[in-house]
Amino acid sequence: MKKIDWEKMSKPIILVGAIIILSVLRPQSFLTANNFANVLWSVSVIGIMTCGTVFVFLAGGIDLSIGTLAGLSAITVVEIIDKMGATNASVIIGIIAALCVGAFAGMVHGLIITRFNIPAFLVTFAAQSVYLGLSMVITNNRIVSAREPALFTSIGSMKILGFPLPIYLMIIIALISWFSLSRTTFGRDIYAVGGNPEASEISGVHVSKDIVLCYVFSGLTAAIGGIVLASMTQQGMASTGSGYETQVITAAVIGGVSLLGGVGTVPGCIYGVVIMGLINNGLNLMSVPSTQSGLVQGVVIIIAVAFDALQHQDQSRKKVKRISEQIKGTASS
Amino acid sequence: MKRHIKQSTMRRLISLAMLLALIALFGVLGGMSFLSTGNFSEIFRNASVVAIVGVGVTYVIITSGIDLSTGSMMALVAMTMANIYAYTLLPIWSMILIGIAVGLVAGLVNGIIVAKLNVPEFIGTLATLGIFRALTYLIAITDANGVIQSQPLTVPEYTVLGGSIGAVFYVTVAMAIFVIAGEVVLKYTRFGTNLYAVGANKKSATLSGIDVPRTRMIAYVIVGFCVAVGSVFTTARLQSTTALLGSGFEFNPIAAAVIGGVSLAGGSGDIIGTLIGSVFMATLENGLLKLHMNTAFQYIIKGIVIVAVVIFDSLYRKRMDRIAKEHGAQAEEGVGA
Repeated sequence: MKKIDWEKMSKPIILVGAIIILSVLRPQSFLTANNFANVLWSVSVIGIMTCGTVFVFLAGGIDLSIGTLAGLSAITVVEIIDKMGATNASVIIGIIAALCVGAFAGMVHGLIITRFNIPAFLVTFAAQSVYLGLSMVITNNRIVSAREPALFTSIGSMKILGFPLPIYLMIIIALISWFSLSRTTFGRDIYAVGGNPEASEISGVHVSKDIVLCYVFSGLTAAIGGIVLASMTQQGMASTGSGYETQVITAAVIGGVSLLGGVGTVPGCIYGVVIMGLINNGLNLMSVPSTQSGLVQGVVIIIAVAFDALQHQDQSRKKVKRISEQIKGTASS
Repeated sequence: MKRHIKQSTMRRLISLAMLLALIALFGVLGGMSFLSTGNFSEIFRNASVVAIVGVGVTYVIITSGIDLSTGSMMALVAMTMANIYAYTLLPIWSMILIGIAVGLVAGLVNGIIVAKLNVPEFIGTLATLGIFRALTYLIAITDANGVIQSQPLTVPEYTVLGGSIGAVFYVTVAMAIFVIAGEVVLKYTRFGTNLYAVGANKKSATLSGIDVPRTRMIAYVIVGFCVAVGSVFTTARLQSTTALLGSGFEFNPIAAAVIGGVSLAGGSGDIIGTLIGSVFMATLENGLLKLHMNTAFQYIIKGIVIVAVVIFDSLYRKRMDRIAKEHGAQAEEGVGA
């Protein structure tokens, strides 16, 4: 009899299950193309950021700064547009400046982590506080609005073939991530670094350089996320993007990314992001207040990561058992 | 012959020098408004809650763990007490006891997640940071329009805890008790030795018969207790609580421990160091306020200071290891001759 591989089947089962539950809960409106586009639109920023931060996760690190970094990038672009009088040129300069902020911040994280061998969570946790402070100083705790020009506001809301632009952005960034992770030497090196940094250093991988690049990519997608978020809401403030780091971690762990490094794929992340969208949609439906989202995300993270850790243990236990049996076998013969 | 100072003593002197330099800096910049007795008692008052929570957090960091959930936990404890105060006729002492019980349970939850379910510490406590905050909002008291209110806790028997004897606040007295008890437990009991052993090397700790998961769990439960006590003193001082109480607080005890020389890699550091670090953090906050720098600058400077100290520690340890290695080589040569 053929055994069902539950591990492989669990993802489609959960996805179909979630869709069925939601269609039953709201039969007339859930199963429409419009609603599906809405679900995707609402998580596109999380999707964009997850596709970049997954590099860091795969290399065995963590980036807790992406939320406030997205906020800082959002403020950078909005402030530049505001100061330069809402011209089209200001939008382009603002976007470039915001991307530079993200990439530079990522580079600094990566360099500090690799040069001084400091835990990634501490560096990015401290950086989170620095970016929040910078955003507050720059905006003076005001909300900076950016209703003009159309070039900027269309990033978040323009529709192509019925789907808003951020969804396409998410797909493009996902494709880039997927390509560089699964079809390039860099990608293979990242998996090796996350699996075993010492071994990959010995086998000639430039571990430090690769890790820095991962954080640069994470910072860059955080900046893109921030720009899109600012465009969607047509404003920027210090609290823009705060809490997104938890959402990104949740999406990643739902998608099968191991926070211990070395395991996970971009399609998995996108699956995690879609499930996050369905969960948020479902919570909305049951009119659960947004202050409760931390509860759901926290529980999901703990279950997913604990499950991952359990599998890790199982695998290493099986390995030990296999090796000890082999030794016994050779000893008795 | 050169006399060698013990490495841990040297690190203690460095953190003390950092604190004195900071006080001197603000003394020059701020003048008498900073250097008055009243201001120093205020600094100690602010350092106290951080140091009380820091006792537990230091234990956890010594086991090579971390706790990011202390701020939310503080809010959950406070909101539970506010609910009891608003809706029941229970006496104040039992309200405090229930608050402490909530802290213990929250700490136990962290401990189970980290030690039994093997979730990495910073992920597990990041998740509970969100969970505890959400629970606080869930039980927060709202007005008729569903708007969350600041909840008063104004009964005199309770708010007396926010007071002082002369220039010394009660919370500072509690802090002294916690620091002394914490240091004694750490240095002179088997549990304390186990904490160091677990942090230095989990495998060899297990092999030497230490129940590693249990030791880690107890460390997290102690954090819960410390946070609950900190929460009582904080709300007694504020005479109220909100759902936002303690947001961002988790940063302070971690920073205090790191400044005081507790290694994030585990296995080294002590409570006195964390106390010095707490006073350092409180002095920094106070000084920045006296120089009219708002919270935004505090966020920036705190973040930079903690990274700078960790970078310094990393370089310092590398150097000390090199020196120790050279000494080892010399000693071996001596034996050979």
